[in-house]
Amino acid sequence: MSTNKLSRRPLVAMSEPTSPSTPDFMSISPAEFFYRNRQMAGFGNPSVAVFSAVREMVENALDACEDARRAPVVRVDVHSLSHDRIEVTVADNGAGIPYEHVPEAFGRVLYGSKFATRQRRGTFGLGVSMAVLYGQITTDSPVIVHTRPPASTGRRYEILIDIEKNRPVVESVTDMLRPQEGTTVTVRLKGDLRNRDRIVQYLRLTSVGSPHARLGLTIDGSEVLDIGPATRVLPTPPVVTRPHPRAADLELLRRLVSTRPTTRLRDFLVSSFQQVGRQSVSRFVQFASLSPSRPVGTLSRDELAHLSDALQKYPGFGRPDASSLSPIGQEGFVRAVEQVFSASCVKYGARRPAEWHGNPFIVEGVVATGDSFPSSDVPQLYRFANRVPLLYDAGDDALQRTVKRIDWKRYGLGPDSRFAVFLHLCSTRIPYRAAGKQSVDTVPEIEAETTRLLRSLGRALSRVVERQARARHESRRRRSLLKHLRLIAKFSASLAGIDEPPDVRPLVDGLFEASDDD
Amino acid sequence: MMTDRRDRARELLMLLGLQVLDSIERGEFPVLHIPDRRTSNIVYDPSRGRFVLGGSVQVRDARNTKHLRSFVQLMWAATFAKQLLESGRTSSLRDLYYSSEAFGIDFRNQAESNRIVTDLESLTGMPREEMGIFPDEHSSVYGPVTMRYTVTGYEGREVDLTVSPDGLPIGPALTTAEPVDTDAEIVLAVESGGMFSRLIETRAWEKYHAVLVHLGGQPPRSARRLMRRLHDVLGLPVFVFTDGDPWGMHIARVIVSGSANAAHIDRLTVHDAEWIGVTPADIRDYSLPTDPLTDADLKRLSDLSIDPRYSDPPWCDYIVEFRSLGRKAEQQAFSRYGIDFVVDTYLADKLGQ
Repeated sequence: MSTNKLSRRPLVAMSEPTSPSTPDFMSISPAEFFYRNRQMAGFGNPSVAVFSAVREMVENALDACEDARRAPVVRVDVHSLSHDRIEVTVADNGAGIPYEHVPEAFGRVLYGSKFATRQRRGTFGLGVSMAVLYGQITTDSPVIVHTRPPASTGRRYEILIDIEKNRPVVESVTDMLRPQEGTTVTVRLKGDLRNRDRIVQYLRLTSVGSPHARLGLTIDGSEVLDIGPATRVLPTPPVVTRPHPRAADLELLRRLVSTRPTTRLRDFLVSSFQQVGRQSVSRFVQFASLSPSRPVGTLSRDELAHLSDALQKYPGFGRPDASSLSPIGQEGFVRAVEQVFSASCVKYGARRPAEWHGNPFIVEGVVATGDSFPSSDVPQLYRFANRVPLLYDAGDDALQRTVKRIDWKRYGLGPDSRFAVFLHLCSTRIPYRAAGKQSVDTVPEIEAETTRLLRSLGRALSRVVERQARARHESRRRRSLLKHLRLIAKFSASLAGIDEPPDVRPLVDGLFEASDDD
Repeated sequence: MMTDRRDRARELLMLLGLQVLDSIERGEFPVLHIPDRRTSNIVYDPSRGRFVLGGSVQVRDARNTKHLRSFVQLMWAATFAKQLLESGRTSSLRDLYYSSEAFGIDFRNQAESNRIVTDLESLTGMPREEMGIFPDEHSSVYGPVTMRYTVTGYEGREVDLTVSPDGLPIGPALTTAEPVDTDAEIVLAVESGGMFSRLIETRAWEKYHAVLVHLGGQPPRSARRLMRRLHDVLGLPVFVFTDGDPWGMHIARVIVSGSANAAHIDRLTVHDAEWIGVTPADIRDYSLPTDPLTDADLKRLSDLSIDPRYSDPPWCDYIVEFRSLGRKAEQQAFSRYGIDFVVDTYLADKLGQ
């Protein structure tokens, strides 16, 4: 938790230059800050940068399609311009971007719509603009955005970021026909294809995390992937909810207060948070010993800290609303794992919604057997957070540790088993360990739910393993009976002086028909 | 007579084949009932003067995957025997074991194939020798006896068993030969090769008018069969001289009353054969050099103490004596008193001369 707070605090502060309490961070622009700390966002070296650019652009594209309630079709084209120059183009069939928002969306770091309390793929709205920023600095070229929102025919933008001022600089705008609605983004950056396998794996797993999407990948002109959709069913869009009071850390409170400082505390709490009504707010202000009629703008820093503390401790609030979450769901999850990994015996399980510090979350997962998984006595784990596959830092990951703590032998899995577990954690707030967003931090509530889920998956798996073992045993027995009875018939015929031994198949078939009836 | 037996053997094997085929054609899994050869199923038959198999049988059911391998092996062994009978040839147990490989019959080792042959014997009630299958190891025989061969190519030829100073191996030919004449008065069976050679070299066989048989541990059936024939045809009493330990004692006991493993075979035992020693009393009386009984020896004693063959005197007494003595002595232990002691003194005492 603590690492997470530390990494998060400056980001929010910088996105709000009006905040009076964080003057230290004002001396450099967010764009500059992020360029200096680019390894935090996954742009530390040229190989990783290509992977990160693909990832950020694909996630943006998928979110755009979901906002438009369309089955996503996302095409990724990676092209080598020279030995250390790569051009990444990602096209989607979303609703396009309203022209007036295009410059801000791509030319300013931390712009975006991702601060609301609902499940999104990214958390900080940092992704695409980070790729743009990295591309601009390493190749001195602008991002090219070709978009067609509804009721228009398409426009092409070339945009640079004014790094010092964190402002978009539109190099050129031209009307240009785009056959369908959607957006195509092209970034040129310094990089290489050493992480090619990682990109392929990322897209395969993304196809599992978003089974309603169709994903294509072309590298240097040849098609590498064209997968999905595994299901035609679009996910129910997550509802935007107000934050739960237990999620009210000081930072969030300050941000909310700053939007309407004159509101009285009572009304402020009811309108800002879920699970807070007219009656519960009265009980809460008593618990917190605060006056319900104080305008929130007049609360001192200490009083705000006290309020935050009380909100997080008060036991009387209801459970957070989980309609802001979007689990993958049984049908899509299972089918995608079957298709993408040629897996068999895929079993799905999901926990009921739970919460950590006021943030609702759901863990769901599948367990699968198949030859594409490594053989081991601990299952191969594929992690997903808000539908995004996590490919790095597995060693630090709380989900990974939870999987390792399970005694898989209890579920009948021997050391040569080839099986995998796919775990999806969805939450309005994923407790990442670091800004790279590649591993989940230790949160007791999440670990407890994950452990329960893994146990139920283990039980489902052990039933499958038993059934398989029984079937294997039956067919082995049948083969053995046939082989040996043929020999017995042959030798008996030879003893009796008969040339043709009798057919033993009816005998064996009869035995198995009889046992099928049991 | 040989041809009659051979025809009967072939007929039995053919019946076995027909019985199995009949089951298969009736849509039933073939089942064989093999007399149980465990020591728990041997009973003394006073009319035959030996232990025979009781009523318990082991079922070999082709429906049971655990029985399948040995079922196939048994049927293959039967066809192997049939071929031997048809071609008038013989085979050793070892030959049979190696021949199996060509037919995809995977015996794990020769012990397994030997066991299957014994199964075939108990199933058909026919000793393997009559199906042309003989043991690999040979015991030896030496002494003033004339035998007449019956094997193909040697029919009617006679051999004197003193022809070689090493003794003659008791192979298929000698096992099926007819005793004709003898100057001997007893058969003396000895456990160790060293003692056998000693008795030939020192001409002890002349002194005691003995036919010497080298047993070499628990003797092959061919040796037991030959002793039985010398006993029955020529009227020679049989004396057994072994090491003074539980194992030596049991060699003698098997010669007298039969083994569990061959309790289904007739004409192997000599009901009035006598164990002259080395008995526990001899160890004491002759002050022989001894070793303490090992754990394996003690285990053997406790196994034998619940064996029906050791329920009556003097055999049950031997077990008590070995236990109270806690020691054992080899035949060679007599060397302590010089090379001729065993011949001049011990055997003289024992054989009453």
